[in-house]
This record gives sequence, structure tokens and C-alpha cells, in this order.
Amino acid sequence: MPNPLEGLLPALEVMALEGQILPATGQAVEDLMRPDQDEAYDRVRLGDDLLLDTKIEQPNSELYVPVRMIHRKEKHLFRYFLDGSARTFYIGNVVEGDRQSPVHVAQVGAAVVHRDNAGKMHVVRSEHRLVLLMDKDAVSFGDKVERMVHAAGTHYLFVPLKEADPLSDGVEAGKQPRSRAAHKANWQMRKLEHQIARELQRDVGEWLALDGGLGSEYVKDWPEGKEYVGVVKSSYKELKFCVKAGRVRRDLNVYQLLAGLKAGERTLAFGLREGAVATWYVRIRGPEHLEFPLMGVLRVELANPGREAVPSELINEISGALVAERCETPHGKDVRWHAHLYAIFLAEQAVKNGFVSTEVIKAGLRWPVPTMRK
Amino acid sequence: MPEESNPKIDALVAEVPQAAEARHKPTGTVIGKASATEREPNSSERFCFWLAPGVVVNPFDIVEAEQMETTRTFGLVTNIRQITDAPSHLSNYISNDFGSVESVPQTPRQGVNVAEVSVLANDREPRGIYMPVQSEAQVRFADEAGIHIALGIDKMAEKERIPAGVIEMSNGTTARVYLHRDYVLGPEGAHVNICGISGLATKTSYAMFLIQSILQTVGEADIAVVILNVKQNDLLVVDKPARGMRPEDHELWERLGLKPKPFQNVRYLLPWGKDTQTTGLPNCFGEPPDQFQLYAYSLVDVVGNRAKPGPGVNLLIRVPDPWDTLGALVGEIQQGIMNDEPRWKSVRTWNDLLNGPPLMEKGIAQKVGEVGASSVGRFVRVLRRVVRNRQSGVFVEQRNPRKAANLGDEIRAIKGGQTTVVDIAKLTDEERALVFGHIIQEIYGMYAEATIDERADLPKKVILFVDELNKYAPRRGDSQSPILEYVLDIAARGRSLGVVLIAAEQFMSEVHPQVVGNCSTKVIGRSDSSELSDDAYRFILKDVKAHLTRLDKGELLLSHPIYRQPVKIKFPRPAYQAIGHEST
Repeated sequence: MPNPLEGLLPALEVMALEGQILPATGQAVEDLMRPDQDEAYDRVRLGDDLLLDTKIEQPNSELYVPVRMIHRKEKHLFRYFLDGSARTFYIGNVVEGDRQSPVHVAQVGAAVVHRDNAGKMHVVRSEHRLVLLMDKDAVSFGDKVERMVHAAGTHYLFVPLKEADPLSDGVEAGKQPRSRAAHKANWQMRKLEHQIARELQRDVGEWLALDGGLGSEYVKDWPEGKEYVGVVKSSYKELKFCVKAGRVRRDLNVYQLLAGLKAGERTLAFGLREGAVATWYVRIRGPEHLEFPLMGVLRVELANPGREAVPSELINEISGALVAERCETPHGKDVRWHAHLYAIFLAEQAVKNGFVSTEVIKAGLRWPVPTMRK
Repeated sequence: MPEESNPKIDALVAEVPQAAEARHKPTGTVIGKASATEREPNSSERFCFWLAPGVVVNPFDIVEAEQMETTRTFGLVTNIRQITDAPSHLSNYISNDFGSVESVPQTPRQGVNVAEVSVLANDREPRGIYMPVQSEAQVRFADEAGIHIALGIDKMAEKERIPAGVIEMSNGTTARVYLHRDYVLGPEGAHVNICGISGLATKTSYAMFLIQSILQTVGEADIAVVILNVKQNDLLVVDKPARGMRPEDHELWERLGLKPKPFQNVRYLLPWGKDTQTTGLPNCFGEPPDQFQLYAYSLVDVVGNRAKPGPGVNLLIRVPDPWDTLGALVGEIQQGIMNDEPRWKSVRTWNDLLNGPPLMEKGIAQKVGEVGASSVGRFVRVLRRVVRNRQSGVFVEQRNPRKAANLGDEIRAIKGGQTTVVDIAKLTDEERALVFGHIIQEIYGMYAEATIDERADLPKKVILFVDELNKYAPRRGDSQSPILEYVLDIAARGRSLGVVLIAAEQFMSEVHPQVVGNCSTKVIGRSDSSELSDDAYRFILKDVKAHLTRLDKGELLLSHPIYRQPVKIKFPRPAYQAIGHEST
């Protein structure tokens, strides 16, 4: 079997010849993400929208709305599901004089799956990239390394570590060179997801469910009329909601809002990003079987480029279809199973199945031997 | 120094890929692909493949997988499992809305059916490729030619093939299955053992089908058949054509290249009964056959004489004899009567033996040689029970040769092309043991002790079919039993002598392991799991054993030295008038 990482080896060779290498102990080491990383990213995506005070649906004004579960046999709303994944490995530091940069290799990928009327899943598209990440300005041969990676083909990407992006710059860990690579890789994944979602051919009425909230890239670049929602399973917990009843105004935090949300109900929809996104919560299961009131709840984000009031009927329909997604679950496979859509989990599996294993990464990414003797 | 090339070898090597190309023309539908994983690697012995949605495969189906050098590797499906991505049953429970039986999954759980396959053969010549089937290799159902390669039947010459049934696969493919003549009738191997629970009318039917198959393919003229009828009158009309035979059975016979015909040139030997003297009828179930010969045993028949020894009184004494006291007495009796010794001159009937001197005087047991009077008394009590009190009528005081034959004489008169049915259905256990012992003793004597000239007059092969073999060659019990000794001798030497034992029993575990071990071909019908856990069945894969508990009527597992794994077969119903089975 050929080395699947072969395209990166010339770039490593350049680094080894031009600079000095301090290899990672025990070969490539995976950078593991914090368990609450999704929530941190949600915080970044929300930007300044931490107090949601604009009701964006019409005509409903109730805080909690029971929804009718809509099974695909009745109306098959969500047909496409999109997710991405990224795994980052630290392989060493490249040193030139008194300057140095950590060197990372990441596998990023995104996949969209289609569910047919019988419920069977098909992978529509699955894309993978191998990404070399380093601070190219830290060494004199950074441009050369970048050129070597680009020359390896479209499957390979070179990402300068210090290049700005909203995700890496938005989280605290993204400010440290060593831990920034994982966030850069995650941003590359988001971009790949976005690209696949934009290029996906769908018919009217065939909705797409994306994993995670709709970042600014979606709101800006999506043609109008496309039917899609972002599904946030680990939503930011410091959000507040302003609820008005007549002249009475109440500010609720997430705990207060969701404590009264029963299974099969949704909350009132609020406007995000000046109304370009409508968001609301749906409880797909629990809380009686779950340990914590916030478990079993999804936050839905619906693109609303026109910033008009969204029909409550549409929100009910989307919510009803999401409630139906509670069967099956990735219980036992993902700690976020209570709020994870199984179909999105399958899209994630489609991505991960295309990754090379950690053993292959370790065996395939070896620094050239002459450098080791330097 | 480089080796010089040999043009002949080069030419042969050059031909190999072309030959393989020509051989490998997959035509069937791809039903799945081989799958090797970290935890379940494929090996030279077994591989797994996942099944395309909707494909139905069953255990015992034979499949072919693409192998290196455009060859095919054939294998037997031993099990099929469904794998899902649920890590536990709890996950499935929770996924159903915490145990809601009404819930319908919006996205059905991802799952796949995976078949486990035991490798049988590879079709590369001359040496097969036994590299593991590579992951992603396409898998198809094998066709009949493929099944023959898988089982090694393709290497059997036409004249070596004995039809043994058909394999029916899940996709409707059927394949004829053959036994190798040299492993059924010798010299490479011999004997067939058939086991399975009773009541399915399968063991006897299969034995009779196989005998008919041997007679039709190997040649009737050279083979004599001796059949023991042990149940009802099941085998007392084997010369009569079956009534109302189903068309599918006709087709099956013809598919196997056989004619659905009854046995020909059949002799029936039926036992003398208590009423035979007055009625003239034999002691058998139902109406006797049109033509039959009666047999009976007088004391002289059992003991015999020096020129023509009988089966021996010892066959009748089936009680514990740890010090061989009764054995010594039997020896005295045998020698005395056979040699016409003065003390035994007057002993010519059972009555003489049981009531008169030298064993008894005025109703009191006497010391005989070194055997004490009490042991003599015990012997007389045992023998009286067998030949007087509990006997079926086969023991007679004096046998009239015009009315009843000596069974030994009749066995010695067997001819090639002739089938002899000996009825023992109504006999007691001791009488059955005597008859069976007598038959195998005669047959073994005929073949093992014959001179070259005498062998020329004998049929080339003799097939002996007996049910309930466990009674005559038990696994546990008297290891010195004279019957067991003969059965072991036939089992061990039969393949070279030309004596073939086709035996049946419910439980193979109850038959002496040496007998089972010497049976080259084993046929197993439905059996229960406790029986299958016995060591006697260790040649069957664990997964395959589980399927044996649910074999249907008429289905059997066939193990033969040529095949790498046992296969499931069906066979046609008998073409003779099987009275007990016709309604089933």
C-alpha cells in the first residue's frame, strides 16, 4: 500500500534540510480537543448576540409551543445531512537560528449524506484534505515549504499558522502557537463544509441539516431560497432571552428557559445577527430520562436572509421533523448522543472512515533521517 | 550464477495466467465483498464478507471469492451475523425513545449482514492459492461446476463417482454431490456411518438410496448386499416399486443420473416363530414378502461343528462375567459338542443342554471341568431365559432343513447382484445380537480367511447395512464382546477385504470410537445440541453444529474425506415400497 501521506514528505524534506528539527516525542502526537470545544465555537459564532430580545416568528408569541412529530413517511423534510471532522497531529518543531515554529499535520474532511424515502443513507459527497500547518514567517524557507505542499496536489493544503480566521482568533487557546493548529484545522473543516453545502444540488423541499450553528460564512454566501438549518447540540450556556408579555419584560437565562421546555416542544424563535438567522430550542427527548435539564435539547438556526418574520408554521414543521430524528441515536458512541442527530452522526462517520489511522500517520510522517543526525 | 532458463518451464509459466483467465469467467451476481478488519482478519482458513442489501444467504451455501492471479477461492458459509453500530442493547433501547415499541426510526440503524466462510479450495492448478481472501474481493454464489471444484469432485473421474445427493443453495442453484468410490468401497477408505434422531425416516432411507446408487453406478454384478430389517416391515418390500412417487423425486433421481427403481434379485430371510410350525408364517411384522426363506437356530446351528463352526453360544450370554467363568463354561460346551466328546454326545438340543447331563442332573447344576456348580446354574438360568422363556421362536429344538435354513449357510451363499434382507424386527435383543454376530462372523470369515481361489468365487464387494449399530458396537460396556471384536475387525480391515459396513444409529456418541473413526463417510441428520457436544462430532465446526439441530426432514450433513468441510445435502425418497414411510 502506498504511503497516503507521500505528498507531504517533500515539504518535510525541505524543512529537514533547511532547518533543524525537534521531532515530537514518540512520533506524531494527536492534539485532542477539549470536550466543551463545541460550546466555545458556538460562543464565537454568536459574536455579540448574547441577549436575544427579538421575536422573529409570526404569528406565535407563546414561549413554549408543542409540536407534532413529523416522520419521514408523512413528510420527508430533512433529506441531506452535513458534518465535518478534523484531527490534528503535532509532529515537531522546525528551528532556524533563534526562531522556531511548531509543525502540525491535520486531516480535515466533510461529507454530506442523503436519506432516501426508505430511510437508507447514501454518501453524496465526501472530501478530505491533508493539511500542513506551520508559521511560515518564522523561518526563511517557509514559502518554499508552502510551494512544495501546493505542488503535491489539491488533496494537500498548506495553512500558515498565523493567518487570521474567526474561529482560531475567537477562542483563547487559538492564541497559543502550539494549540492554534487544531483550531486552524477546524476552520479549514468549516470552510470545506461550507463549500460542499454550497455546491450541493438539491430540489426544492429537500432540506439540509448542518452540524453546528450557521457561522457568518453561511449567512453571507448562501443564495436565497435554500432550505437548510444548523443544529447546535452544545450551545453556549450564557445566552439570555428577553421575553415580553404585554408590557412585562422578563430576562431568562438558558437554564430558566429550558427548565420549562417539555419533550416535543419548542421555544419561541428569536432573531440572531439582526434577524439574518432565526434560532429556537427544541427538546427532542427527556428530561425525565436524562441527568440534566439541558440535555436532549437542540438549538436550531434557520437562515433568514430577508430578515422578515418567519412563519410559525414553518418553525413548527422543522421542529416536528427534528423531534422525529430522536430515533435512532448514537448512544454509546458519542457523549452528546442526547442532542445528536443520528443522521448527522452518520455523516461524521463517513468523514472519519476516510481518515488514515493514527498508526499510519505515525508511520508515514517520519522526518528524513539525515536531519536527525544534525 | 543465474539459473539457466528452461524453455519448457517458461512455456508452462507463460500459460498459467492465460489458463487462469480462461478458467475465471465469473458470471453470477456479486452478492457482497470480502471484509477483513483489525479484529477479524481473513486467513487461509476463513474469511468474512458483507452482504449487499436484500441478498439472502444461508449456512451451507457455497460461495466463490475473487482471489489473486484471477483465480477463485471457494468457501462454505458457516454463519451469518448482523452487525450494527449500536455498541450495546441499551443503546438500541434508548434509541427507541427509551423503550417505546411503537417508535419507528427516522434513520434506520446502520447495520450489515456479514457471512463467515470456511475456505474449501482454490481453483488454480496444480497448486491452489491459499492466501487470505483480500478485503474488497467480490463474492458470488458458486455454480455447480464451482461447487465441484470446491469439494474436489472435479478431480474424480466419472467412474469413481457415486451420486450421494444434491446441494440446494439459497439462490436456487443445485449441484450434484458425489462420493469417491475408493473411499466408500475401498481401498482408500470404507464404511458409511449415519446418525440422527429417529422418527424422520431419513437414516434408513438414505442408506437404501446410497446402496442403490452404488449398485447402479459401480455395477450390481460385483456387489452383494446384506440388509438387516430392524423396524416393522420397512425393508420387507424393497423389491416392489414405490407407489405414487412424487415427480420431484423422479426428477431428483434422474438429476443424479440414477433410475428410480426398487432393489432387484432380493432374497428375504425371515425368522422362525412360535406359530410357524402350525401357520407356516414367519415371525415378522405385517404380510411377509411373496418369496422368502425361513431361518431358525437349533443348538447344533449355534455351536456348529469343526468343519463349519456356528456363531457360538457365547453370543447369547450377555451378562457381566468379570472372571470369565461363564466364558470358560461356554468354551467347554463348544468344544465338547463340536468334537463330539463322550460327555457331550447326548447333547443335541437346547433341552438336552438345559436339562440333562453334563450340566444338570435331576434338576441340579453340576460341576463341569473347573467351573463350579453355582456358575453352571447361573449359565443355565441365563441361557434358559434367552432360548426358552423370552425367546421369539427362532430357537428350535431341531431345525428341519426343508422348512428353515441355517442362516450361516444362506449368508455364505450370497452372490454378486443379489440383495439379502434378514429380518430381525421381532427378535429379542439377544437374538438380534446372535443374528448380527452370525452374519458378520460369516462375512468376515468368507473374506478374511478365503484362499485366492475362494476369493474369486466371492462377490468383489459385500455391503452390510445395519441399524442400531450402537447395540452391537457400543462405546461403553463389554470390550471383550465377540460381536464388537468382529465389528472392529470389519471396520479396520473391511476396506482392504471388500466388506463395507453401512451403519446407522441415533447417537454416534454411543458407538465405539474405533468404528466411527474407521468410517470414511459420515452422514448426520438432525441431532440435539447435547449429542453434538460429544467428541465424536469434533470434526464439525462449532457454527455448523448449531445448524444441525434444525435440519429439515430429508436433509443431511455429509462428511467425506475428499471434502474439506461437511456439506448439507438432500436426496430422493426411496424408489421401493417403503411401507412405514410412504405416508410421511
